[in-house]
Amino acid sequence: MATRFLLTPASAEMPSSNFPALVPVNTTERRMALAFDASTQETCAWTVVVPQGTTGTITAVISYAMASATTGGVAFEIGVEALTSGDAVDLDASTSYDTTNTGTDAAVPGTAGYMEQLSITLSNVDGWAAADLARVYLRRAPANAADTATGDAYVFALEIRDGA
Amino acid sequence: MAVLSAASRAGIWRKVQRYWSDQREACNFTKAQLSAAVDATDDWIEANQTSFNQALPAQFRNNATLQQKTILFLYVAARRAGLLDWADGD
Repeated sequence: MATRFLLTPASAEMPSSNFPALVPVNTTERRMALAFDASTQETCAWTVVVPQGTTGTITAVISYAMASATTGGVAFEIGVEALTSGDAVDLDASTSYDTTNTGTDAAVPGTAGYMEQLSITLSNVDGWAAADLARVYLRRAPANAADTATGDAYVFALEIRDGA
Repeated sequence: MAVLSAASRAGIWRKVQRYWSDQREACNFTKAQLSAAVDATDDWIEANQTSFNQALPAQFRNNATLQQKTILFLYVAARRAGLLDWADGD
């Protein structure tokens, strides 16, 4: 298993509305995170180029902590759009994301601020291959039945691994 | 006065979660449990507003507006919970 991308809060691309706030979780250390709301679905994305040698099952690992919740669960969704040179997708007018991949964590850490990692197997990666221009979106799924924890979920990093 | 609409109750539910997130205040309850608590609070106010009004001294009760009585209630409740940021002598 190899790490292919490390996606951080500061490099996230935000849509025009309903995006997670980029916040300093620790105001002294300025540890930055993306704050995903508990009721409004908020989305952000990263643009990457699929590295040469990428192979096998793709897995996403979300490093998160809860702002205040000490009980309940969270759910996240990850979508992938992969474009090969010459693909018929007008980037300034449309997207072509594959089916969303959903991952749930039934129990958030018992102490708010403690970090936990949620691993999601990405079964739907839009058939990405080396050299594709890819976009990966991340969003919390507040309407998912498994998303029961109150308050913000802070995401510190999103790691994408493959099977190499 | 009727109970709040579902949209208003949901707005309170969202607002308090954001407040507690900003405060990093531990919340050992779920979103559904909080939603039920919002409903129960609104229902309790609906059921007890007459009782509160009757408990007020007549002169005040007859001359204060609904908004003034509500602010009074909020300030007293907030002071009892230690939520006001001014001292007793201010």
